[in-house]
Amino acid sequence: MFFVKAFLCRLPLIEILMKKVFLVFLALVVLFIKDVRAQEIPMYGPDLNQKSLRINMGSQGVGAEFGYGINAKTALRLGANFIPLSANNAVNVSGFNSTSRVSASFSNVHLLADFTPFANAHGFRLVGGAAYFMNANGNLQMQPKSDYSYGDIVVPAADAGNLNMRVNWKGVAPYLGFGLLKAFPNHAFNINFDLGSYYLRRPDANIVGTGLLAGNSSQSAQLQRNLKDYRFLPVLQLNFNFKL
Amino acid sequence: MMSKIQKLLFVALIALAGCKKPTDNLKVVVDTDIIKYTALIQVTDAANGVSAPANATLTVSGADANDIYEISGKKQFKLTNGIITIGPDPDAAPTADKTASCNIQISAPGYNTTTKSVTFTADQKQQIINVSMVKTGGTVTAPPVSKPQPVYESVSLNFTGTCASRKDVEIRPSMYLFYRETGTNAAYQYLGYMEKGSITVTTLQKGKTYDFQLIYGGKSYTQTQLIDETNYDVKVDMGDACKDF
Repeated sequence: MFFVKAFLCRLPLIEILMKKVFLVFLALVVLFIKDVRAQEIPMYGPDLNQKSLRINMGSQGVGAEFGYGINAKTALRLGANFIPLSANNAVNVSGFNSTSRVSASFSNVHLLADFTPFANAHGFRLVGGAAYFMNANGNLQMQPKSDYSYGDIVVPAADAGNLNMRVNWKGVAPYLGFGLLKAFPNHAFNINFDLGSYYLRRPDANIVGTGLLAGNSSQSAQLQRNLKDYRFLPVLQLNFNFKL
Repeated sequence: MMSKIQKLLFVALIALAGCKKPTDNLKVVVDTDIIKYTALIQVTDAANGVSAPANATLTVSGADANDIYEISGKKQFKLTNGIITIGPDPDAAPTADKTASCNIQISAPGYNTTTKSVTFTADQKQQIINVSMVKTGGTVTAPPVSKPQPVYESVSLNFTGTCASRKDVEIRPSMYLFYRETGTNAAYQYLGYMEKGSITVTTLQKGKTYDFQLIYGGKSYTQTQLIDETNYDVKVDMGDACKDF
């Protein structure tokens, strides 16, 4: 666990590495397509011209995709996903006896390529592409848990104010991962899995306070610094594929 | 169960493989302007108009005395260097139809006891009540004529109260501010009222260093600042004042 964390903390290195791997992957896909067409090899194989409708669910919520096999080893999928999440009292700030409500809302449209590199292992796919996140927000609202004592004066919790922290990752994000089980069903239906991660843009973060906490907007810069490396959106997804 | 799943999903989603806790080093910034209508009481010796009589005490009486607090929200009315700020509980704040008022009585050994009436009105959030104490057996003299304040380039000061004992809390003080030139040992003079930590003044000369003083909860908090620019963020160590937040 320590090594994983230490590794993840080397984010500038990961950022460069991920971008390079992504570019190499895309270049390989493009070269492969061009190569196949240039040599006029008859197009055949597990993915060629196949079409499917996919319903998926996982860590990036629920969504749907249209898949199309563009050659023997490569398929494209165009789809959309969304997820609304919320949880109570998942976060505490030291020095602030409070209740909290945290929520997140992510929705994207994406274009991904499934590449099956091994002829004898059709169930293993490399997956790359990108998404545009129309909505990628995290919100944390905190308010005092009880009435606030200021000296001998009791200020009702409702009058003390609250804190709202907002984070926004909206924008384009590359995706890299791998898939397990075949991209297209042999017959009418199959299931496969995706495991990977989007690499989101650096988030915008701010704090807005009300009432006696109105001065907390001064903490926005610190929150932005704390969240600048929160860019990996992991995807663990189950796909239900219906042959078209 | 659903809640636990949602929390797990949330952690998986929002953690986003980040390394730093989102709330690391975040301070909770608290404003002190709970008592919004205040009166600064300045007690001085009538003989010189500057220094406060030693061991002076203040009591509050009158119709609304129960609603009057020291600016820290406590019922302890302790003069510090002859200075205290008082005001009504937010629930007893003055309105257009109703004022809040009290009498203050100041006593000091060797001085005649003095009583003044203080009235808080909706159209006046801050007021200064000067109390000049006459020595027992002395005669009331005209107050010394104070020199007009010089006017310099405008300087903005943004004060933040910090506490060594509570590093997770910062205070944005709304209170009266005093100053003197560093090294003079002169009595602190009234500089102005700062709202949510901010004050802009024209009485500070560039190139000079000043001691600034806040009086809160019967204690004096000071900070020194060289003035050679037009905008400063000034941190004031407010001792254990943060434990009240």
